[in-house]
Amino acid sequence: MTAPELPRRPPAVGVRGLTLLLLLVAGALSYEGLGLTAAGLWPNEGGLAVAREFFGRALTPAWTSEARFVPPGTPPLLLDALGAAGRTVLYAAAAMSLALVIGVVLGFLASSSWWTLGERRGIGRTVTGALWFVARAVIAAMRSIHELLWAVLLLAAMGLSDLAALVAIALPYGGTLAKIFSELIDEAPRDAGEALRGAGAPALSVFTFALVPRAAPDMIAYTFYRFECALRSSAVLGFFGFPTLGLELRQSFRSTNYGEVWTYLYVLIALVIVFDWWSGRLRRRLVTT
Amino acid sequence: MTGASFGLEGVSVRFDAFPALSDVDLRIDAGEAVALVGPSGSGKTTLLRLLNGTVRPSAGAVRVDGERLDEVSRRRLRDIRSRLGFVPQDLALVPNLRVVQNVLSGRLGRWSFLGAARALLAPPRALVREVHALLDRVGVAEKLYQRTDRLSGGQRQRVAVARALFQEPSGLLADEPVSSVDPARARDTVRLLTELSSERRITLVMSLHNLELARAAFPRLVGLRRGRVVFDAPSDDVPAGAFEALYDLTTEELLGDGA
Ligand SMILES: Nc1ncnc2c1ncn2[C@@H]1O[C@H](COP(=O)(O)OP(=O)(O)O)[C@@H](O)[C@H]1O
Ligand SMILES: [Mg+2]
Repeated sequence: MTAPELPRRPPAVGVRGLTLLLLLVAGALSYEGLGLTAAGLWPNEGGLAVAREFFGRALTPAWTSEARFVPPGTPPLLLDALGAAGRTVLYAAAAMSLALVIGVVLGFLASSSWWTLGERRGIGRTVTGALWFVARAVIAAMRSIHELLWAVLLLAAMGLSDLAALVAIALPYGGTLAKIFSELIDEAPRDAGEALRGAGAPALSVFTFALVPRAAPDMIAYTFYRFECALRSSAVLGFFGFPTLGLELRQSFRSTNYGEVWTYLYVLIALVIVFDWWSGRLRRRLVTT
Repeated sequence: MTGASFGLEGVSVRFDAFPALSDVDLRIDAGEAVALVGPSGSGKTTLLRLLNGTVRPSAGAVRVDGERLDEVSRRRLRDIRSRLGFVPQDLALVPNLRVVQNVLSGRLGRWSFLGAARALLAPPRALVREVHALLDRVGVAEKLYQRTDRLSGGQRQRVAVARALFQEPSGLLADEPVSSVDPARARDTVRLLTELSSERRITLVMSLHNLELARAAFPRLVGLRRGRVVFDAPSDDVPAGAFEALYDLTTEELLGDGA
C-alpha cells in the first residue's frame, strides 16, 4: 500500500503573526523617528516646582473654597463639586442615549450577517451592498474625529449650547458602538439563525430574534463600558466651558488652588467607581435572567 | 392537512470539488416515515438540507410537493420552508433565550416583524398555552420559562423538536436527533417523532446512526455510502449484510471523514 500524498502544510508564521511582528517593528521605529531618549523624561526646574506643589496637595484636598475672594451666595465647595458631578452624569447619559440609537441603527446596517441572511441576488444584492458600504463609511467618519475635535467644530457652529456637547460625544460614541455592535453580531454563532432561515423566517426577524440575542450580553457590557468613557469625556468637555467637572477643574487649576483640583479629581474618581459598581450589578441582572 | 412529498431527481452536490452526493434519485410520498442510514460523511445532512433548500444541488432537481425549489420565487421558497420543520444535529437553539421564546420562534416564517416582536416579547396567552401543550407532548412542560442553556442535552433536544412542531409542519426533517443522548433517551426520541408523524400525518425523514433503532421504528430505510444511495427498501427487506457493507469503511474513507 502506498502512503497517500501529504496535505499542504499551513505556513508556520501566518498573516496574523506577520502583522503582529510588523506592529512591533513599527513601534520601535516610531521611537527612533520621534527622537525620544530616556533623558527627556526628566522635567525642567520650573516644572518640577509646580509638580511638587501640585502633588503635595494630593493627600490634603480642599474641603472649603480656596479662592481669595468668594462671592456671597456661592454654595460650599463640596456641594459645588457634587452639582458638577451630577451635571457630568447628565451630559454623559443624554449623549449615550443618542449614541445608542445611532449605534443600533448603523451597527445593524454595517453588519455583514444582516446582508448575507437575505440570500439576495442581482440588483437587490447591489443595493444592499451599497447600503452596507455607506454605513461603514459613515461609521468610519464619525469615529475618526475625536469628541474634543467634534466639540471644537460644534462650538464654532452652535455656540456654547448643551446640544453641542451632547452631539460632540454622541457622534464618535455612536460610531464606535455601531462598529463594535456590528462585529459582535457578525461573530456570534449563526446556527440558530440559519435554522430559522431554513424554517422560512424573514431576514429581519432572524437577525433580531436569533442573532442579536446571542450578541446581546456582550453588547450590553460594551455599552456600559462606553458609558464610563462618556463620563470622562463629559468631564473633560468642561474645559470648553460646559458646566461639568472639567470647568471647575480648569478654574481651580488656573487659580493654582491645587487643593480644590484634588477635590474635583477625587469626586470624578468616586463617580467612576460608583458607576462601575452599579453597572456591574445591573449588568449581571440583565444578562443572567 | 396531508404531509409533504419530496423528490430528488438525479441530484448531485459538490462542495468545491468534493462530491458530497452523487446522482441521487429518491421519492418520499406524503405521510411516509423514512430513515436515512449511513456512516458519518456519507451525505445524510446534505441530503436533508437539500429537502428544505438550504443546500442547493449542483445538478438535478429537488421537488417539494411537486414544485422545483430552484424555480420558485424567494417568497414562495419561504412559504414552503415555513411548513418544513428541521431538527438540526446541533439543535441550533438560542441558548440565552427562554424555552418558550425558542419554541415560539418556530413560527417566525408566518409572522410579520411586528407580529414576531409582539409574540416573542409579550406573547398572548393563547400562544403560550399552545407552546405549553407542545412541550407537554414532548415531555418538558415544566421548562416553559427556563433559560434554554440551563437544560440538559436531552431536554434541549425536546425543545428543538417542539420548535419544529410549532411550525405546524407538513414535513419534519430530523438530523441524527439521537446522537448526543444515551440509548434509552435515543429510543424515546425516535419513538416520539414517529408517533408524532403518524398522529399528525407529518412526513418524517430522519437520519440515524443506530441501525437496530432505524429498523425497529421505520418502515422504510435508505442507506447512503460515500454520497450514493446503496439501498432503498422496506425495513424487513434490508438484509443485515447490507448494513455491514455500509459501515465497512476503508482507511481512505476514515481519513476523509467529515461532520
Ligand atoms: N459546507 C460544506 N463544505 C464542504 N464540505 C462539506 C460541507 N458540508 C458537508 N461537507 C462534506 O460533505 C460530506 C458529507 O457530509 P454530510 O452530509 O454532513 O455527511 P453526514 O451527515 O452523513 O455525516 C462530508 O465529507 C463533509 O465533509
Ligand atoms: Mg451529519
